[in-house]
Amino acid sequence: MATITETTKKEVKEIVYSFFAEECEVDIGQINDNTSIIKDLDGDSLMFLELIEMFKKKYNLDIELKVIGKYAVKHPVATIGQLIEMQLLIIEYENRLLELDQ
Amino acid sequence: MSGNNLAFIFPAFTREYTDHPGVKLAGFASHFHAALNTAAAKVDPSLTNFSFAGSTLPEDELCTQYITYIYSCAASSLLRNSGFTPAMNAGYSMGIYASLFDAGSISFETGLELIRLAYQSLMGAIGSQSFGMASLIGLSGRDIHHLIDQSNLKIEITNQNASHSFVVSGHRDDILKLLELAKEEGSLHTRDLEVSIPYHSSYLKEGALLFGNQISHLEIKYPGNRIISLIDQTFLTNPEIIRQELINNLFYALNWFRTKQVMLESQISVFVECGPSKGLVKNSKFVDGNFRFYTLASLPLIHGEHIPN
Repeated sequence: MATITETTKKEVKEIVYSFFAEECEVDIGQINDNTSIIKDLDGDSLMFLELIEMFKKKYNLDIELKVIGKYAVKHPVATIGQLIEMQLLIIEYENRLLELDQ
Repeated sequence: MSGNNLAFIFPAFTREYTDHPGVKLAGFASHFHAALNTAAAKVDPSLTNFSFAGSTLPEDELCTQYITYIYSCAASSLLRNSGFTPAMNAGYSMGIYASLFDAGSISFETGLELIRLAYQSLMGAIGSQSFGMASLIGLSGRDIHHLIDQSNLKIEITNQNASHSFVVSGHRDDILKLLELAKEEGSLHTRDLEVSIPYHSSYLKEGALLFGNQISHLEIKYPGNRIISLIDQTFLTNPEIIRQELINNLFYALNWFRTKQVMLESQISVFVECGPSKGLVKNSKFVDGNFRFYTLASLPLIHGEHIPN
């Protein structure tokens, strides 16, 4: 289980903001934690999947996508801020993510 | 922009045109409307009612396939006229017809005829049975097979877009059941594709063979560039192989993920999606390699010297 530091939080936030700015062709200054991924950015599940794959590689994470899928059913993500929170939990708990609900 | 590293890729059909990329290409509108008028005269006069702003066409699958084919043919013709010469083509699902037209294997009119015959053959063969298709993201192929087997669903995996992105075809009720099971299993995304024909599945074998009999008289020429099969990733090098591929494309499973890998191994490094959406570009991200994908909308920004915006 990884320890989430302030550096990690900052890094994840920067990656998520940059990713959506590039993918959705919007100015990064227009994105904030309350930005709706679908309504404001026209984001989709493939982008979510791509982002997860990026983090899996970057942090060498051991996590199955279906674990994230099961967690997301109970904790749906709508905004950039919620997505960052989920990514931090994925980095911290990996395949033990579902234990958070127990 | 030409050379042995450029490929044109042609999408399946879509109903979404409100934000289509061709609007950014100079000359696209005239290319499209000329092709639309030709198609209307050949197969269906009501096609002239199509409008990007909001079509008055009936939302049937055949009209949808015609429009996407017309759009893709107009786009690739414009690109070729502007100096783009692909070394390879790939047609995703029903994109095979535009792919063959672009490579010079069939005429524009023959492509329309193939679409009509395929649709009518398949609809006739499935009769009153209710079928459908769906996409699933986030589960492995093994997970999906397990869900199908454990509930004895009449469903087949009919395309793999990425390691965890699949398309399935089968009986409509079972498709809906699989979507529920997949969500419970942890699929990140599921979508009912809202089509009535289970493309690329063995359920269509009878219709596909009927289609084969009906296309025997149609002229198919040697392609002007390489065309890759999405079924087995071989190259379609002569008219008879192409004719057989047209038949097999209806009832054999595809593998777009593997096709992209083979294209990369064949030195393709620049992909241009010739169609009204960016679906193929979107799911291109999940293949390792050094390559670039462009939609029609992103091309003018990079190659403004070829296609003035």
